[in-house]
Amino acid sequence: MTSISPTLASMADTALHVGSAPAWVLAIPLLPMLAVVLNTFSAIFRVKTKLPAWITIACLAGSFLATAFAFMTLSGQTNVATGWKWFDLSWGAGQGQQFIADFGFYIDNLTLLWMLFVTGLATLIAVYASEYMEHDVGKGYTRFFVAFGLFVFSMTCLVMGDNMLMLYLGWEGVGLCSYLLIGYFYKKPAAVAAAKKAFIVNRIGDLGLAIGVMLTFVHFGTLEYAQLFQSEQLAGYIAAVLEGRAGDVPLMAQLIAVFLMIGAFGKSAQFPLYVWLPDAMEGPTPVSALIHAATMVTAGVYLIARMLPVFLLSEWALPVVAWVGTFTALLAATIGMAQFDIKRIMAYSTVSQLGYMFAGIAMLSSVGGVYHVVTHAFFKALLFLCCGAVMHGFAGQLDLRKLSGLWHMKGWRVVSVGMLVGCLNLAGVPFTAGFFSKDMIIAEAFVTPGYGYSLLGWTLLFTAGLTAYYTFRVFFRVFTGPVQYEPGDEHHGEDDHSHDHAQDDAHGHDGHSHEDHAHGHDHFHPHPPRFAINFVLATLSVLAVLAAGLYFVSPEKHGWVGDMLEESTAHNLYTADHSAAAMFLIDGDAHAAHDTHADAAHGEHAAHGSILGFNPHEVMYYISAIFGLTGIGLAAYLHGPRGMVSGFLGNRVEAGKCRMDAVAKAFDPIPRWAENKWYVDEFYHFLFVRPLWVVSYIFQTIDKLLVDGLVNLFGYLPRLLGRGAQPGQSGVLHGYALSMAGGVGVILFIVVLVTL
Amino acid sequence: MSASRGAASVEAVISPIVLYSMIALGAVGVLLALPRAKANFALPGFLIGAVAGGVVLLVLGAKAVDMDGARGLPNLYFYVFGFVALAASLRVITHPKPVYSALYFILTILATCGLFLILSAEFMAFALVIIYAGAILITYLFVIMLATQAPTEELSENQAPFDRVAREPVMATVAGFLLLAVLSTLMARGVPTLTVRPVVKGDQILTELPLRIERALREQHMLTGEGGILPTETLARGVNDDGSPGAYLVDPIDRTAVVRVDADGGATRVVAWPEDLTLGNVEGVGYELIKAQPGAIEIAGVILLMAMLGAVVLARKQMQIDEDAKRVQAEGLAAGGEGASS
Amino acid sequence: MMTTLAQSGFPEAMSSLTLFHYLFISAVMFTLGLIGFVTRRNLIVMFLCTEMMFQASGIALIAFSRFYLEYTGQVFVIFVLTVAAAEAAMALALVVLLFRRHETLDGSVWSLLKG
Repeated sequence: MTSISPTLASMADTALHVGSAPAWVLAIPLLPMLAVVLNTFSAIFRVKTKLPAWITIACLAGSFLATAFAFMTLSGQTNVATGWKWFDLSWGAGQGQQFIADFGFYIDNLTLLWMLFVTGLATLIAVYASEYMEHDVGKGYTRFFVAFGLFVFSMTCLVMGDNMLMLYLGWEGVGLCSYLLIGYFYKKPAAVAAAKKAFIVNRIGDLGLAIGVMLTFVHFGTLEYAQLFQSEQLAGYIAAVLEGRAGDVPLMAQLIAVFLMIGAFGKSAQFPLYVWLPDAMEGPTPVSALIHAATMVTAGVYLIARMLPVFLLSEWALPVVAWVGTFTALLAATIGMAQFDIKRIMAYSTVSQLGYMFAGIAMLSSVGGVYHVVTHAFFKALLFLCCGAVMHGFAGQLDLRKLSGLWHMKGWRVVSVGMLVGCLNLAGVPFTAGFFSKDMIIAEAFVTPGYGYSLLGWTLLFTAGLTAYYTFRVFFRVFTGPVQYEPGDEHHGEDDHSHDHAQDDAHGHDGHSHEDHAHGHDHFHPHPPRFAINFVLATLSVLAVLAAGLYFVSPEKHGWVGDMLEESTAHNLYTADHSAAAMFLIDGDAHAAHDTHADAAHGEHAAHGSILGFNPHEVMYYISAIFGLTGIGLAAYLHGPRGMVSGFLGNRVEAGKCRMDAVAKAFDPIPRWAENKWYVDEFYHFLFVRPLWVVSYIFQTIDKLLVDGLVNLFGYLPRLLGRGAQPGQSGVLHGYALSMAGGVGVILFIVVLVTL
Repeated sequence: MSASRGAASVEAVISPIVLYSMIALGAVGVLLALPRAKANFALPGFLIGAVAGGVVLLVLGAKAVDMDGARGLPNLYFYVFGFVALAASLRVITHPKPVYSALYFILTILATCGLFLILSAEFMAFALVIIYAGAILITYLFVIMLATQAPTEELSENQAPFDRVAREPVMATVAGFLLLAVLSTLMARGVPTLTVRPVVKGDQILTELPLRIERALREQHMLTGEGGILPTETLARGVNDDGSPGAYLVDPIDRTAVVRVDADGGATRVVAWPEDLTLGNVEGVGYELIKAQPGAIEIAGVILLMAMLGAVVLARKQMQIDEDAKRVQAEGLAAGGEGASS
Repeated sequence: MMTTLAQSGFPEAMSSLTLFHYLFISAVMFTLGLIGFVTRRNLIVMFLCTEMMFQASGIALIAFSRFYLEYTGQVFVIFVLTVAAAEAAMALALVVLLFRRHETLDGSVWSLLKG
C-alpha cells in the first residue's frame, strides 16, 4: 500500500506543471495543411507533373523536423500551445457551465512519441508514393496527395490536440481521409464498397467516442487535458480506486471509459468492429501502409494511453479491452493463415497486432503497448510497402500462389531483404524489435492479476506462433523457390510493357490459367522498383532493425518508450507495485484476488504472476522465441522451397503447389472457413444488414403508401377539381366573355337579393 | 340601406312587373333578331325589341309626368336619338355583314352624340364624331377590307359561315338580359336617392377666369356702346395683407364686377356682367381638365403613345409572321396531301 | 327648340327620373354590346361591340355629369375615348396579324388556351 502514494503523487505532479509551448510547434500541424492548400492550387491549375508529391514531401519533412526539434527541446515537459480560440462559451459561472475548446496543442512525451513516427513515416511514405502513384500523374495524383496531407494534418490534430474536441476533430478527419483514400480508385466497385464499409463501421465507433466526449464534459465540466488531468475530481476518484473504494466512483464516470473504448475499437479495428480494415486494402498501398497499418489504426491505442487515468476509473473497461484485444489477435491470425492475397494477410496481421497492443495497454503495460505501436509502425509499414512494390511490379498481382522466387530476380533484392526484415520482426524472431515489444506485452499478461489474464497470456503466445507461421508463409511462397509469376489484371498507364497485354490479361484469368500463364510469360515484364521505392524500403529496414535498440535505452524504465511515457498521462504503473494494479482491476475483491494469486504464485514475488513457476520477465524471451521459431519452421516445412536444409523442410518446386495443399485437404472445412474469414461478414450481413434491410423495406413501404400517398392525395385533389373545371377552359374568347358577364350578373343579382 | 326603402325605390321609378316583363320581351326580340343558320327572324325580333323598349320608356315617362310634371320628362329629342341609337346597336350585333355592322355603329355614335348634345356636352359630342366616326370607324372599315376574303361568285351571300350564325345565342341573351334586369333594378333603386348640388357651378368658375369677364365686358361696350367697360378702364383688384395685388373683385352671385376708372386714381364703379355671359361647355371641360385633373391628360397622352408604340411593334412583327406563315404553308405543300387542299 | 338642344352651361337641374331615362338607354346599349360580343364570331364585329359598350358607359357618364352639374364625368369620357382609340389601334393590328396567320376572322379558331 505504501507504494501507491508515489504513483498518485507523481501523477498529480506531472499534471501540475503545464507550461506554454513556443509558437513554432504550430508548424507541425500547419505544414501538412499548407501542403493541402498548395496541392489544391495544383489541382486548380491542373498540374501534370510530380509537383504535388514534392510539395507534400517538403512540407511533411518540415513537419518531421519541427517534431524532432520539439522532441529535443521540449521532451520531459508538458506544454500547451494555443493557436487560436475555437470555442469559448459560458452560460454561468459554475462548474460545467463553461465550454472552452481552443485550437491548441498539448505537447508531452506521449504526443511527441506519436508525432515522431507519424510525421517521419508520413514523409518516407510520401516519397514512396511519389513513385508508386506515378501512373496517375495528372489524373488522381494531386487528389491523392491532397488527401494524404489532410490525413497527416488530421492525425496531428488527433494526437496533439489539447482537448478532446480537437481529438474528435482529428478522429473524424482521419476517418474522412481514410474513406477518401480507400475509395481512391473510385471506378472500382470493390474500392467504393470498401470505402463505404470502412466509413460506416467507423461510424459505430465514432458514436461511442462522441458519447464518451460528451459524458466527459458533462461529468468533469471540461474537455481540456490540462484541466482534466489536474482536476481534483479525477484525483479523488483515482484515490478512491486505489484505496479499494471503487464503488464510490459514480457510474457516469465509469461509463466514459466504456464509450471511449467503443470508439477505440472502431478506429483500431478490434472485434467486433474489425471487419472494415481488411477490406480497406483496396486503397493504394502507401495508404494501407501509412493509415491502415502504422498511424491511424493506432489512434485507439493513443486514446486509451492518453485517457488512461479515466480508464482506470472503470471496473470493466480495461479487462474488456484486454479480452477483446486478445480475441481479436487470435481471430485475425487464424484468418490471416488461410488467405492467399498477401496484402490481405498483412491486413489481418495488422488487426492481430493491434489486438496485441490493446491487450498490452489494457494489462497496464502501457509501455509494452506503445512500444509495440512504434515497432509495429515501422515493420508493418515496411511489409506493406514491400507488398506494394510487388503489386506495382506485377501489375496488381497479390496472390501468393502465382508469385514465386522474387529473391532470385534481378532488381528485387531490396524488396526481398526489406520483406525479410519485416517478417522477422513480425514473427518475433529473437533480437528484433517486434520480439522485444511483443514479449513485453505477453509477459505482462502473466504478471498482471486479472480475470483469466494468464489464459490470455497463453493465447497471445499461441497467436505469436501463428503469426510467425503466416508471416513466413508469405515470405517462403513469394520470395523463395523457383522464379515463376503471373501478372495481375491491372495495368498502369505508364507501363509500356504490360500496357498492350493488360487487356488480354483481364480476360478470363481463372478459366485457362495455364494458357494465360504462358502468355503472360512471353509478353509480361515485371518492372522492379526504382530509386524512390528502394530508398524508402532500405531506410525503413534500417529503422525497423534499429527500433530494437530502443529497448536497451534506459533499461531501468523498460526502454526508451518507458522513459518517454513516464512523464505523460499514460504514465505506466508498470514500475509501481502490481498489487496496486490489482486493485484497479478488481475493486471490491482486491484483497481476495490478491490472495488467490498469491497462493497460485510459486515465485518469490507474491504479488507477481508467474509462468510455469518462473518469473515471466525472465523466461518470456525463451518461451516466445520457441513459439516464434516453431511457427517459422512449420511455415518452412509446409511452404518452403525444395533445397531448404537439403529438402527436409521444404519441397515446393512450383509456385502454386506445396505440402500445405495436402494438409488443407486433410482438415478440409476448417481452412476453407478460415479463408472465408469464418463467415463473419456473412454473419454480420445476416445479423445486422439483412434485418436493417427488412426494416428499411417496411419503412419504405409505409413511406410509399402512407406518406407519399398523403402527399399524392393532396396533389391529386386539385387535379381532380381541375379536371372538373376543365371544360370551362374552352380557350375560346366568347366563353370567357360569357362567363365574365354571367359572373357580374350573378354577383349583382346577389347584391339585389341581399339589399332587398 | 334598409330593405324596405330599397324595395320601395323601384316602385318609385317604374313598376317592376312592367320593367321585368318588358326586359324578358326584349330578350326574346334580341334572340329572334340574332343571325341564325336557316330562318331569318330579324324583322319580327326588331319589332318586338322596339315594342318592349317603347313600353318601358312610355311607362317611365308617365311616371315622370306624374311626379314632376313636364320637367320630369326628358327632351323630346331624347326619344328620337335614343330610338336611333338602340335600333342601330341592335343592327350592329345582328347584321351578318361586318361592313354594315360598322356603318350601323357610326349611326349609333351619331345618335349618341345627339344624346350628348341634349346633355349639354357639346365638346364631347363633337369630339366623338371626329374621333370615333371620323377616325376609329374608318380604321375599322379599312381592316374589314383588308381582312376579308375575296367574295366568291357562287355564294349568294358572300359572308363567311362564322358571320352568318350566332354563337350560343340563348346563353348570351339570357346572361345579357339578366345583367340588364339587375342593373336596372339597382339603378332604379339608387336614382331617387340622388340629390343635386345647389351651387350654380358655371358662374362660380367664371370668377376664376376674370380676364374672360373683362373681355366680355369690353366686347359689350364695343358692340353695343352701352354697359361694359371703357378701354381706359380696368378690372379692379383687391389688396393682400402684404400690399401685393390680390384677387379681382368679381361677384358671381350678383353677376357684377368692380372697375377702376382711371389708371392711377382710386375711383371705382360697379358694372353688371353681360346677360349672355355664361361658361361654355368647352371652357368648362377645359378648365376642369387643366385645373382639376392635370395628371389625367398626361396619362391619356402616355396611353396613346404606348398604343402607337404597340402598333409599330406589331407592324414590324407582321412581316416575320407572314414569312412564318409562308414557310408553314410551304412545308404543308411539301408534305403533300392536305396542304394542297387548303 | 334648337336653343334647348344646344344649351350652353348647365341652365337648370335635371330630375332624377330623367336621369333614369338616360341610364336605361345606356344599360340597354351595354347589354346589346355584350350580347354581340358573345354571339358574334367575327373578330372585327366583336371589337365593334366592345366599342359599343364604351359608348354605353359614355352615355351614363355624361348623364351623371349633367345631373350633378359637374364636368368630371365629361373628363372621364375623354379617358374612355383615349382608351377606345388605343384599343382600336392595337386590336385591329392584332386582328390583321391573326388573319394572316389563319386566313380567317373566326375568333373561335383561336383556342390555344384550351384546358
